[in-house]
Amino acid sequence: MSAAPASELGQPSPGPEAPRQELPWLELSQITVPGRGRPRLDRVSLAIGGGERVALLGPSGAGKSSLLAVANGLLRPASGSLRWLGTPPARSGRARRRQQARIGTLWQDLRLIEELSVQQNLNSARLAAWGWPRALLNLLWPLDTAANRDALAQVDLGAELLDQPVSALSGGQRQRVAIARLLRQDPDLLLADEPLASLDPRLAAELLQLLLNQVTPRRALLLSLHRPDLLAGFDRAIGLRHGQVLFDQPTRTIGPADLEALYGGEQPDSGP
Amino acid sequence: MASLIPAVIRTKIHSAWAGWGAAGGQGASPDRAQTTLIWPTGIAAPLAMVAPALVLIPVLGLLPGLVHGGGFDLLAEFVQAAFTPSLDPLVVGSAIKGLGITVGIALLGWAASGLLGLALALASSRQVWVTYCGQVWPANLLRRLLALPRSIHELLWGLLLLQVVGLQAAVAIAAIAIPYGALIARVLGDQIDALPSGALAALRCSGVAAPQALLTALGPPLLPGLLSYGGYRLECALRSATLLGVFGLGGLGTELKLCLQSLQFHELWTGLWLLLVVMLLLETALAGLRRRWLMPRRLGLGGPSSGNPRLEAGAAQGSGSGRALAPWAPAGPGLASPNPARPGPLPTNPLAPESGAGHRGQGRAPRPDKLGRRGREMVLALVVMVPLLVWLARGMGVHPLGLLHWQPLPNLGGASWASVLALPWPQLVGTTLLLTLVAAGLAVGLAPLLLLVIAPWPWARPLLQLAWALARLWPPPLSALLLLLLLKPGLVTAALALGFHNLGILGRLLLESSDDSQAPAEGALQGAGVGPRLALFYGRFSGLARSYLAYGAYRADVMLRESVVVGLVGAAGLGTQLLESLSSFAWDQLLALVGVYALLTLVGEDLSDRARRRLLAPT
Repeated sequence: MSAAPASELGQPSPGPEAPRQELPWLELSQITVPGRGRPRLDRVSLAIGGGERVALLGPSGAGKSSLLAVANGLLRPASGSLRWLGTPPARSGRARRRQQARIGTLWQDLRLIEELSVQQNLNSARLAAWGWPRALLNLLWPLDTAANRDALAQVDLGAELLDQPVSALSGGQRQRVAIARLLRQDPDLLLADEPLASLDPRLAAELLQLLLNQVTPRRALLLSLHRPDLLAGFDRAIGLRHGQVLFDQPTRTIGPADLEALYGGEQPDSGP
Repeated sequence: MASLIPAVIRTKIHSAWAGWGAAGGQGASPDRAQTTLIWPTGIAAPLAMVAPALVLIPVLGLLPGLVHGGGFDLLAEFVQAAFTPSLDPLVVGSAIKGLGITVGIALLGWAASGLLGLALALASSRQVWVTYCGQVWPANLLRRLLALPRSIHELLWGLLLLQVVGLQAAVAIAAIAIPYGALIARVLGDQIDALPSGALAALRCSGVAAPQALLTALGPPLLPGLLSYGGYRLECALRSATLLGVFGLGGLGTELKLCLQSLQFHELWTGLWLLLVVMLLLETALAGLRRRWLMPRRLGLGGPSSGNPRLEAGAAQGSGSGRALAPWAPAGPGLASPNPARPGPLPTNPLAPESGAGHRGQGRAPRPDKLGRRGREMVLALVVMVPLLVWLARGMGVHPLGLLHWQPLPNLGGASWASVLALPWPQLVGTTLLLTLVAAGLAVGLAPLLLLVIAPWPWARPLLQLAWALARLWPPPLSALLLLLLLKPGLVTAALALGFHNLGILGRLLLESSDDSQAPAEGALQGAGVGPRLALFYGRFSGLARSYLAYGAYRADVMLRESVVVGLVGAAGLGTQLLESLSSFAWDQLLALVGVYALLTLVGEDLSDRARRRLLAPT
């Protein structure tokens, strides 16, 4: 596995024909994260390439959130190696942040900034690229309105919401604004930590479709999921149990026996 | 000019003024959106937090003109002396003795204010009056009367008492006890009246006599908050006792001032380091007691969406009125974290000892074998405290009755009211207000700004904490004297001294609250590659802004009251004039000045209350 040239970091993502497409977008090898009693992640290895839609399955406490936290660089593993587009996390804070700017995370609690407007929240996805002057201007002036309008349109929201404070939105609108914020970030790798939990079935299905639609040849998706019944749109599923990878195979090959082994008698959530 | 402002901004500005506090409503109708759009200060939350620091621009602009020739060498000597304090046994012994007197004054003044405050709180509580005789007017009357002693700074009380009864140990103690007692009375009275009256009514209906019913129904829910607030007042009392010393009322403050005036910086630092040790020990001990007794935190700055905004008023000295501005925020370490299970804006019993006011943030219930331990320890503390206070009072030669032996009062009949009217009142009042605004802007704006500056460097935090601790303990008049080594006397010099002291208080609060609050948005931004400063600014400050500014509004009110203590640098408004009138025995002027000061601080208190109520209104 050859490393991507350092100059590539922080550059706009090249098109699908670029040579780096052959590199895995995300590669974890022998990752271990210690925990109380048993490790939260135990020698986990996986690789995700561009254009792939990968579901992360497993019972509660299996280590799905830890895996995603390692994947987006917020949690440092005790051992093992992590590579983004073939490059390990940079040592310098600045270079590392440039790498992280290419990874978008959809959090279960969304992590929108309640006190700011939708437009300011959407623009907050650009903060990694912006310096202080634009960051301050964003709090005083409507910036990049056209781009924000496009992002909202992609998640079926109207531009009239741009001026609204996030705290005034409904639950469904908030979910969509969070996805629109990801679109504004324009990441190569999309991570989502149980975004469908606590949503009603119709909303969950809509949201999932919205996320799956965001995958392009130059963008991969890794989504942790409670519900095996929603696997249909994914190319591949990784089963995690007790911090270890139990299976990593195309979704069409996953059968009831695999799920039984994964959940081990625990009832997987099949929706409210 | 108006045409230069885009329509959307004009709408925002208009709705900011018209719809103060209307931000963040739940309604999503388009009409509502125009008014809910704007945060109550008119600018976005994180920006509002650092906006007061804009006052730095004119201050920095004026500074070059204020710097005078000499003094840099002296200042360098002062800074160097910090690392080489005098260890001469005589100096150390003298500093320890002075510190003992200061701590004694603080403890005795604090204890007296507690007793006075408790008695006055009961006497000014509407619930108590209703329980006894069904009337509320005596409570309302007493509340109005208490506004006067509260509005006069302890230094003024000290200087006035000094003139009336002469120099004696009891003067400094009374100077602390009177305004603190009135303040505690208001805070506690508000708290008693904010408690639900159901339990009290039930007891009275079942034939329980009024005193027992009041004690049983109101005592337990009040106790944790009262103790926590009492601890905070003790920290304030130590600062006040040092300050009073600077003005000649005894203790370490007097020594510090003499050392500074005679440029004995090594001796000065001996006293300062000792004071710092005592102050940090006291703060640590009180924080430990709060944790041990499951009391609410000193004060908290949970975000409006995360905590209970009404109770997180952060109005630690309780200038608030009613429950909307409860002075002691029952903010556990984790209170600032989102918790849907938290009670609504008006919890039925916010200070109930076992309802989790103090320990809910710690996420665990008290173990059964620990029940009652707190009560036993409190009684033990009381048993130890009483003889200690008596011993202290005897050791310091305090004779409370001496306060009754008044010297002949000057005859005000022959007062020259014309000379009073001849004072430049508009200028005096204007300068005082400007001084307060500049100091408040510096203190409120610089604390978050400095946190942002050091955000990427964890090693700088202890340094900042040390600087803030020194700022808290260093009395503003001494900072002013130190600044006079470099700057000409005047408003800016006074404002810098006052602002620096309050920066120490605000900075500590902000840092603690920032560490305690959970800001998932900050983590999300960091995960997306945003740098530590911008992530802190957008992700964490947004949630803290409202309650921080609310506390800043309260602090500005305190600074207005405190502006008298920096009067000694000259040309600093009412404070300067007041000290001049005092030293020239111009009683008529003094009386008028104290009256205007009191009026001004009462108006300031009201404005600050209103600002806080707006900021903390539920969204």
